[in-house]
Amino acid sequence: MKPFLATGVIALTTALSCGQVFANKSDDTLHTAFSKELESVDFYFQSAREGTIFARQVWDGLVYRDQTTGDYVGNLASSWKWVDETTLEFKLREGVKFHNGEEFDADDVVFTVNYVVNPDNHVTVPGNVNWMKGAEKVDKYTVRITTNGPFPAALEYLSGLVAIYPNDYYAEVGPSGMALKPVGTGPYRVESVEPGKHFVLKKFDGYYGGPKGQPSIGTIDIRTIPDINTQLAELFSGGIDMIWNVPADQAEQLAAMDQFTVANESTMRIGYITMDAAGRGGEGPFAKKEVRQAIGYAIDRQAIVENLLKGSSKVVNSACFPSQFGCEQDVETYSYDPAKAKALLAEAGYPDGLTVDFYAYRNRPYAEAMMAYLADVGIKANLNYLKYSALRDMQKKGSAGFGFLTWGSNSINDVSAITSQFFKFGDQDFARDEEVKTWLDTGDKSVDDKVRKENYSKALKKIAEEAYWIPLFSYNSNYVFSKDVAFTPTPDEIVRFFDMSWK
Amino acid sequence: MANAPALTAETIVAISPGAMLRRRIFGHYGLLFGLSVLALVVAAAVFAPLLADHNPYTQDLFARMKPPFWMAGWDPDHLLGTDQLGRDYLARLLYGARISLLIGIVTALISGMIGTALGVAAGYFGGKVDLVVTFLINVRLAMPVVLVALAIVALFGGSLQIVILVLGFLLWDRFAVVMRSSVMQIRGLEYVNAARAIGCSTTRIVLSEIMPNVVNNLIVVMTLEMAHAILLEAALSFLGLGVQPPTPSWGLMISEGKEMMLFQPWLITIPGVALFLLVLAINLLGDGLRDVTAPEAKG
Repeated sequence: MKPFLATGVIALTTALSCGQVFANKSDDTLHTAFSKELESVDFYFQSAREGTIFARQVWDGLVYRDQTTGDYVGNLASSWKWVDETTLEFKLREGVKFHNGEEFDADDVVFTVNYVVNPDNHVTVPGNVNWMKGAEKVDKYTVRITTNGPFPAALEYLSGLVAIYPNDYYAEVGPSGMALKPVGTGPYRVESVEPGKHFVLKKFDGYYGGPKGQPSIGTIDIRTIPDINTQLAELFSGGIDMIWNVPADQAEQLAAMDQFTVANESTMRIGYITMDAAGRGGEGPFAKKEVRQAIGYAIDRQAIVENLLKGSSKVVNSACFPSQFGCEQDVETYSYDPAKAKALLAEAGYPDGLTVDFYAYRNRPYAEAMMAYLADVGIKANLNYLKYSALRDMQKKGSAGFGFLTWGSNSINDVSAITSQFFKFGDQDFARDEEVKTWLDTGDKSVDDKVRKENYSKALKKIAEEAYWIPLFSYNSNYVFSKDVAFTPTPDEIVRFFDMSWK
Repeated sequence: MANAPALTAETIVAISPGAMLRRRIFGHYGLLFGLSVLALVVAAAVFAPLLADHNPYTQDLFARMKPPFWMAGWDPDHLLGTDQLGRDYLARLLYGARISLLIGIVTALISGMIGTALGVAAGYFGGKVDLVVTFLINVRLAMPVVLVALAIVALFGGSLQIVILVLGFLLWDRFAVVMRSSVMQIRGLEYVNAARAIGCSTTRIVLSEIMPNVVNNLIVVMTLEMAHAILLEAALSFLGLGVQPPTPSWGLMISEGKEMMLFQPWLITIPGVALFLLVLAINLLGDGLRDVTAPEAKG
């Protein structure tokens, strides 16, 4: 009954906006939507997930991580080797052409790398590229990339965060030109760009194949539709064929309607509670280990996962996503035990409970659920719900030390992308533990996998033991698409249009 | 009456003022409707703990989004269903009425005091005082209420107290304008001059000669501003800048239900209808009061 009612409502609301002719399988066009307005489609001058998705279709990196095996395979590079601890030498694939006909060779790699590492060019997320010192050409199809000190996660970063640009074209048009008329080597070429609004991609006939394979669907039409309810309405009316990041409750209802394919896949994003153990915002209750542990025992993470996140989300106990390299799983866990939480609070000198400010920036229902659990053990949490940028600014200054935050690791499958980001005395480090920092530094700098694992393990064990963070759960994403579309989502939250086909 | 010469003496029966008032009240359906709905909401707010057999803060993640009684699959334990955290919707609605009424009444009192003081001073003294007050009113009118409220709440964080204070200090303009002009009309009348001539103090003149004659206007403005404040609170809470969760507020309930709009529409219709009825009732009450106390102004 409900789904029909919903369909009726939607049909009504969208009837007016259906003036345009929708196409799909019949004319080989897949319509989809971005939730966020992209600042720029130039990959290096934006920081949104949508920008990464766009970049994967249009550009290639030197290497590519196979999603099923997890191995790195050559993309624009055909082979590579470590010359020494800080030098990677790549042999490049020959005969690759950019969308504008320019030939791909070592000059393009050298230009791109040296352009993005130059601080004067102000790329949006310097951390993605500033581990590289620069690149130099050896011959037409050989190039060397040097790093600033040993950087074991180099291949992971190269596979996800370094898109190779055409040197002649980029030197001529710069980021502003690239944002309007992007040119790459990827499986799709860009037909048109209306900045922040509408992007049309066409299959690139001269694509060389490689690990991404030849694209199957002819045209990808992407519009920016920020509101999930509008996206759903468009989906019902046939205006779009696929959406993702659909909230769990809606996805459940959609699956029950059996009109669309609903696929669920975990993501690398995890939620966590951070606490001001170091007392950066003045001496507070969280300086006491018992209070921090009590928070862990007070919250029924399993119930939140089962009822709110659903799908393939799991409770997380270590301060990283389980599949990440070095993510030690054998750590102290805090299972739901309100009596123990109360006892710990009493032991810490708060037998009557306490009142604290609690900060959050997304998933307000999750935050509210946690607050209700905290209230049950006597912790009155006042919610401060802010924008992420505002919250981060407060944390820079040492305030907002108690909050529910999340981190997606930029889909980098390595502990250095999360634990090392937060426990090495950065802006958002409220633990300030010298020992943890030393272990993480050793892990980050070593190229020996055994040494890395060992040190990360020590750091993660201490983080759990001291309860600096209460890791909560991993997120999942629901992909809803037309039954005509064949698509398998991947855990890195990147939608690969080139992997999709019509049934 | 003067236009009805055909009337005979028998039909003109002297009616006592009390009976006249009663007749006006009971003949005014808008007033009656407003009064009864408001009385109902007040009763709901006051007796919320007795009417709701659930705590509005108690969540049950295993009983989320149960439908209300008119839909299939409803739970007799939750008449209006539950929200996305499994909290009883009826309890939240009843306790939410407290928040709405509290905000409406306290805001109207604060702004009423500020606005009346300024308006009466301007109207009674005139001259320079009037100039200053008129300037203040203009300044206030030039500020978009919602934007200023948003900015202040964003700066100091949202809470019940802040919302009440911000709205109280922003919504006094109508009081000031109305009071100023009504006092101006009265201050030159004979009985005011007489009071002045026999040497009454300014305080006495204002309180016992002027105020009783403008109080009906004050009440009308107060009801309007109450409704205005309740709507603004809902709007601010909807935007996440008003009352903070888990406090039950109708605006917040609408905001939290927004995401579920397509599949669980009752999550926004229930608090939405409640808000609509309350604001309508207060406005009708205000209109009715004006008609009853000053029938000559009925337009």
